[in-house]
Amino acid sequence: MKNRGATILAIIGAALLILPLVVHDTFVLRVLTEGVMWIGLAIAFDVIAGYTGYLNFGHGAFFGIGAYTIGILMMQANLPFWAALPAGGVAAAIVALIAGIPTLRLKGAYFAIATWALSRAIQQLALNVEFTGGPDGMRLEAFLNPQFFYYLMLITVGGTFAILWYLLERAPFGLKLKAIREDEEGAKALGLNPTKLKMQSFILSALPTGILGGIYAYWITFIDPSSTLGDLVSDQAVVMVVFGGMGTLFGPALGAILIFAFKTIFWAYLSDFQLLYLIILGALIAISVIFIPNGLWGTMVKRKAGAARPQQNAEPVSEPAALSAVAAPEEGN
Amino acid sequence: MAEPILKVNSVTKCFGGLTAVDDVSFSVEKGEIVGLIGPNGAGKTTLFNVISGYYAPTKGSVIFQGNDISGKPPYDLAGVGIGRTFQVVKPFAGLTVLENVTIASFLKHPKKADAERHAWQVLETTGLADRANVSAAGLTLAGRKRLEISKALALEPSFLLLDEVVAGLNPTEADRTVELIMKLKAQGLTILIVEHIMRVIMNISDRLVVLNFGKKIAEGTPSEVSSDPHVVQAYFGEEAA
Ligand SMILES: Nc1ncnc2c1ncn2[C@@H]1O[C@H](COP(=O)(O)OP(=O)(O)O)[C@@H](O)[C@H]1O
Ligand SMILES: [Mg+2]
Repeated sequence: MKNRGATILAIIGAALLILPLVVHDTFVLRVLTEGVMWIGLAIAFDVIAGYTGYLNFGHGAFFGIGAYTIGILMMQANLPFWAALPAGGVAAAIVALIAGIPTLRLKGAYFAIATWALSRAIQQLALNVEFTGGPDGMRLEAFLNPQFFYYLMLITVGGTFAILWYLLERAPFGLKLKAIREDEEGAKALGLNPTKLKMQSFILSALPTGILGGIYAYWITFIDPSSTLGDLVSDQAVVMVVFGGMGTLFGPALGAILIFAFKTIFWAYLSDFQLLYLIILGALIAISVIFIPNGLWGTMVKRKAGAARPQQNAEPVSEPAALSAVAAPEEGN
Repeated sequence: MAEPILKVNSVTKCFGGLTAVDDVSFSVEKGEIVGLIGPNGAGKTTLFNVISGYYAPTKGSVIFQGNDISGKPPYDLAGVGIGRTFQVVKPFAGLTVLENVTIASFLKHPKKADAERHAWQVLETTGLADRANVSAAGLTLAGRKRLEISKALALEPSFLLLDEVVAGLNPTEADRTVELIMKLKAQGLTILIVEHIMRVIMNISDRLVVLNFGKKIAEGTPSEVSSDPHVVQAYFGEEAA
């Protein structure tokens, strides 16, 4: 099972790598680039939402902050793209740190509302200060090379996926986050510091999101508050993750692919019916929450069994002493 | 006499106007089982929460292995050797039994494979190994109480706080848990236990501390305490005293 999974992943990876050599249609390449970006945004969102249990309705702000950081550093500080790009991730991480201090104390819907409100505030800020270009947005120096952006997006998202996979599925960190999600008070008794873990999770979610925002800005060459700091990224991420399966990495990736494919096809053929798209999307979410609460992936794939039971290396409890509760301390051991 | 492992010094804990624990002092020697008893609402769980760091005492202090731990957070106290269970059980319901225990094992076994191996050993000891891969939400009450103990034990504590881990179990399950507790004592663990079932608490405790309305009203061996008129009155009312 594990080997087959690895083989399938390797094939998909190889196919994605050679794709631009075969496909020369720039529209197709653009769609693929964006699809890969959504996978990255969805899995990054799921770190805090699915693994940690904090539904962040301000995820889009991290994306926009990354985009604006790159835009401002390139256009106003004349930094080259490669120097500006890491700053996009760092800026998003710093905002997560600052925003997390008050908001991560809140639970459930209160956290969702607070993060949504904060992201609206950041959008308003971008609209009203000068260095962002205000409502007119900002145009970046154009670099027209679809292959370059496809590969950059692919490597960034692939790398993010690999790192998150290691941290969340292989290292103890993922289980610790799930403990916080399941019961914060109970987790404390086991030596876990919820404040610290939630903050680490929030930053881990923000960092790649900021980097993806930066790549997006350079790729699309134009950013403004409504396109990069609006609700779109947060809304789509929520839909993709809930539909695909929260608290996993493959679920959000699958959700991102399906939702983005649906959106692309719909807009290509039925662009006059954008309202219908939103209605279908809303219905899809309602249906999946009700009928497949674990999402597509969670429903398809049975939970993997934990590590196999080792050979009896500890002595099992003997059968209950027949009558008396006055159990004498056992000898030896 | 050696330094007691735990010293509770005049601890008071108030919730607004309510004094849930009122100027309570006692100590626990290494290797002992001390029973903490008293009627419902006497303040036993609140005192556990103070000792394990969930509440800072309003007054007084808690000394563990010679260090003042009053007001230190629970996650730090887990690190110094205090393990606890919850009367209202707190399973990580969305995770498997093994995952629940593995999370606790991370404290002393930071590598995941080591922690899982250790969690298996704990589950063998507590008799939950057969249920390791089921969701914690699927356990019976007896299973959940056992899971509470398993998680506390996976911390490899030197001092264990057990809050009503026997109450609610059928006699067979209760006997198994008592047997487990005695085995832990034999391994050198020091235990402070809250339990309502007199048959159990009288048999396993070396000493008892009795609370009523937040105050300590008696302390001594089970036979001393059960003949103490204050205790008899607290439990059986005026006419019996
Ligand atoms: N978090 C809290 N806030 C307010 N009152 C509390 C809280 N926890 C416990 N109490 C009160 O403190 C008293 C002692 O409760 P508790 O320690 O749970 O008793 P016991 O465990 O002995 O049954 C009760 O009157 C209870 O209602
Ligand atoms: Mg209680």
